[in-house]
Amino acid sequence: MKKILIPVGILLVLGILIYSKAVGTYNQFVQLEEGINGEWAEVQTQYQRRTDLIPNLVSTVKGYAEFEQETLTGVVEARSKATSVQIDPTNLTPEKLAEFQQAQDQLSGALSRLLVTVEKYPDLKANQNFLELQAQLEGTENRIAVARRNFNESVKGYNSTLRVFPNNLFAGWYGFVAKGYFEAVAGADKAPSVQF
Amino acid sequence: MRYLSASKLVVVLALFLLQGLAFAQDFPAAPNPPRLVNDFTGTLSADEVNQLEQKLLAYSDSTSTQVSIVLLGSVGVYEISDYAFQLGEQWGIGGKGKDNGILILAAMNDRKVFIATGRGMEGVVPDALAKRIVNNLILPNFKTEAYYLGLDEATTMIFKLASGEYKADEVMSDGEDNPILGILFLLFFIFIFVVLPIIKNRKDNNNHMGGKGGGIDFWTTLLLANALGGSGRGSGGSFGDSSSGGSSFGGFGGGSFGGGGAGGSW
Repeated sequence: MKKILIPVGILLVLGILIYSKAVGTYNQFVQLEEGINGEWAEVQTQYQRRTDLIPNLVSTVKGYAEFEQETLTGVVEARSKATSVQIDPTNLTPEKLAEFQQAQDQLSGALSRLLVTVEKYPDLKANQNFLELQAQLEGTENRIAVARRNFNESVKGYNSTLRVFPNNLFAGWYGFVAKGYFEAVAGADKAPSVQF
Repeated sequence: MRYLSASKLVVVLALFLLQGLAFAQDFPAAPNPPRLVNDFTGTLSADEVNQLEQKLLAYSDSTSTQVSIVLLGSVGVYEISDYAFQLGEQWGIGGKGKDNGILILAAMNDRKVFIATGRGMEGVVPDALAKRIVNNLILPNFKTEAYYLGLDEATTMIFKLASGEYKADEVMSDGEDNPILGILFLLFFIFIFVVLPIIKNRKDNNNHMGGKGGGIDFWTTLLLANALGGSGRGSGGSFGDSSSGGSSFGGFGGGSFGGGGAGGSW
């Protein structure tokens, strides 16, 4: 009888250890994922803010009749394309995120082209309404950049936790997968030279 | 063993990531002793730095809103806005949770300036107004190399916009629960210095009643003086503090920046 008790005891202790480790890891994954969901909501809020600003911008600019219609339609089209790409926060795969980013970056490009052409119209540039819109738009771009960086940092924490041993085994069992990053804007990989 | 190897791996991975990012040398460490005005370029005279410091400090003391000024050479390949947000976040300008910090960052060699507003300040200093402060107050002065004047006018305008948004925690004049706290303290002191001695003196009859009596007066006076001083400071605090000139900044509070603000170049 005693001979059987010892292996059973060892197995029991091992089982409890593995179980508690498994539960702890699962909870950790869930917490990290919730963090990412929060950051993602912030990213979407800021992109939405930009989308909402565009109709105002377009109608302000339209008032100046001589303004090129092509650039304006470019913005409007890019906007509708960007709003059509929506991601469910539970499905933040690298592919999905790349698609989302591409649509939004297209809109960024169209917007910056619009703002460049505006330089040719002094009347428009002096328009107070336009200046406020421009400041708001710049502020939104800044907020997007911050939200994207925070999102990337959360994803980095999550992905690196997910991929180390033994967490990778648990992640496989539970079905947690690595999430996508926002790619850095071109030119961001140059060596920075900051002077204090 | 499993735990050990896992934690080691995480540490190695973290080190690897940190190395790749190399954030550390791009941002100056938070000043120690903490200061609100940090001129790394020597553009402002010591006197001007001190005047700005006292002005911002007085405002921070009376409202808890931390407005910080940083002048540095160049932000490198960073966007000045991005650099300002990251620097503000790393130093933690503004109170934790309130995020009521504002950073005025100027890169002298780049000839660029940016006012970054903490998340809690985006309402009182919206981007459009920050833009106007930059365009109307900072840039014209910076163009004529009147750096102190530009910063002085900009901070004054920010104070005007932000006044009344946040009150300092320490100022006990208008809080609802503060009188209760005061009464509790009063009761506590009465208990310690009045009730306890009376009980004690009851046991051994005529002891130093006079000495204890003096104690009551001393503590009560101190308490009253404190209470009066605290409420009196509420309104006129900024003037009193700026004239004294000797006080120093207690440190940044851990505020966060979400991308608010505006900038320009001269």
